[in-house]
Amino acid sequence: MVTEDEIEQVAKLMKIEVYDHKEFVEKVHVMLNYFEILDSAGVEDEEITMRDVSLSSLREDKHIPFEDNLIEKLNNYKGSYIRAPKMV
Amino acid sequence: MNLKISALEYIDQVKNGQISAEEFVSATIDRIKKIDGKLHAFLQINPDAVEQARKVDKKIKLGEKVGACFGMPISIKDNICIKNSKTTCASKMLENFIAPYDATVISKLKQQDAIFVGKVNMDEFAMGLTTEFSAYGPSKNPWNTDYVPGGSSGGSAVSVSAFECVASLGSDTGGSVRNPASFCSTVGYKPTYGLISRYGLISYANSIEQIGPMTRTVKDTAFLLNILCGLDTNDNTTIDNGNQDYLSEIDSGIEGKKIGIIQEMIGEGIDSQVLSATKDAISKLEGLGAICDNVSIDMVKYSVASYYTITATEAGSNLARYDNIRYGYEFPVEGYEFNSYISKVRSKFGPEVIRRMILGGFVPSAGHAGKYFLKALKVKSKLTKEVNQAFKKYDFLIAPTVPVLPFKIGEKINDPVALFLVDINTVMSNLSGTPSISIPYAISNGLPIGMQLLAKHRDDKSLLQAARALETTVQLPEVPI
Repeated sequence: MVTEDEIEQVAKLMKIEVYDHKEFVEKVHVMLNYFEILDSAGVEDEEITMRDVSLSSLREDKHIPFEDNLIEKLNNYKGSYIRAPKMV
Repeated sequence: MNLKISALEYIDQVKNGQISAEEFVSATIDRIKKIDGKLHAFLQINPDAVEQARKVDKKIKLGEKVGACFGMPISIKDNICIKNSKTTCASKMLENFIAPYDATVISKLKQQDAIFVGKVNMDEFAMGLTTEFSAYGPSKNPWNTDYVPGGSSGGSAVSVSAFECVASLGSDTGGSVRNPASFCSTVGYKPTYGLISRYGLISYANSIEQIGPMTRTVKDTAFLLNILCGLDTNDNTTIDNGNQDYLSEIDSGIEGKKIGIIQEMIGEGIDSQVLSATKDAISKLEGLGAICDNVSIDMVKYSVASYYTITATEAGSNLARYDNIRYGYEFPVEGYEFNSYISKVRSKFGPEVIRRMILGGFVPSAGHAGKYFLKALKVKSKLTKEVNQAFKKYDFLIAPTVPVLPFKIGEKINDPVALFLVDINTVMSNLSGTPSISIPYAISNGLPIGMQLLAKHRDDKSLLQAARALETTVQLPEVPI
């Protein structure tokens, strides 16, 4: 059974401030309870299949300059710097 | 000006000089302004649409090469980037985001002289199936404005259904094109995974989502697929379709084709009207020479749980990038330390997005992955095997697109599991990467019912032929708006 503390901890890790704890805990609970149905699917021995992408079909790892001056589209910038909250 | 024509009829009429692109686009914009207050399909209208149509007319007049769309007005779901226009994903988090580039589908449509009349409403970040989770308010079903139009591409479906455009592009992660197509009585197409590039589609759950056209007719969908498909170096999940022409041979019919009726999709919880429409569709298909038989796909009952587990996990990762620092809404950074600022601004995500992100952090985490995420991936693998097995015996599968009729706005918003189960018939195609289509089939008490046909991986062309055959048996009343 997932607890309010666990949900609080996940929300913290996902960097989301949650205001209405009760509402979120209740609904996330209901959703997780529904997922319990996976236990009866009998897929324990099933292999997980992956889609292969060959290396040759990947893009070449090279810099392609963007034609527009992207920084001008941003909210808060000065010269080539973006305004961000202080780190420490 | 008659706006109630298909995309192919529009092209014919412009080519023959019966109408001009400018007249048609101008009348379309007038209709949007007149009726969209009641429907709320549009989040933005393109102020340059009429001018762009005029340019197409000029090219026609001068005998210059004109793209295959001839100025056709198309609406675009607001999670697909059009350069220099807002792409909000119906979220407050992106309310000021101006896309700096065109999605591949947009570039392709621009090359063919399509005109984008506006960006249309959706559930925030495509998470939902009613548009009630849009941060800008829900869209309304044009068949009855007290009812939801379906979602998440609800604005797309409403705009096509209510003649506010000729066609639309939506995106389908678990039914987000087919569900609103069913609820609003339009055609909605979920292509084989990789058929259409996702470059420029704002990601929700990359491993299963696809962009899909929404149109008035199956032929219009085939026409748009001819433009939209193909390999894209910017999306290496795209597949080579060999430049297939989806429109040619579309009237081939379905005589002698085998169709499996998916038992798990017409059982418990299905509305009696939807069931009776499905039985009717089956007898119509038999009348056209198809051989219909019951088929069972056991994993269907676990597919919704698998779908939500996988999509929440991918969404949790995809949405981690939104920190409001480079773009987003106005929220000054002064007085905040980096992490507390990000947590604070991210509380502007809507409640459904937050719930799914929390789930997305929880289900793949150490200690819980084995119970949820890995099991969901195993269900996906087994379901895909079962689907492939079914297609060894059958050419197509059939099920109603949604097992219930459209419901009232607000009716299910507080019951996440009730909403989950609305997806039960659509998620299978996403999880297995196979194509499926919803076509308008019936109207019950003034509300639409869509019928879904499914085909095997890469069999999009045959699927459109089957859908076209079924479509020829349907005669529906006009939308009452």
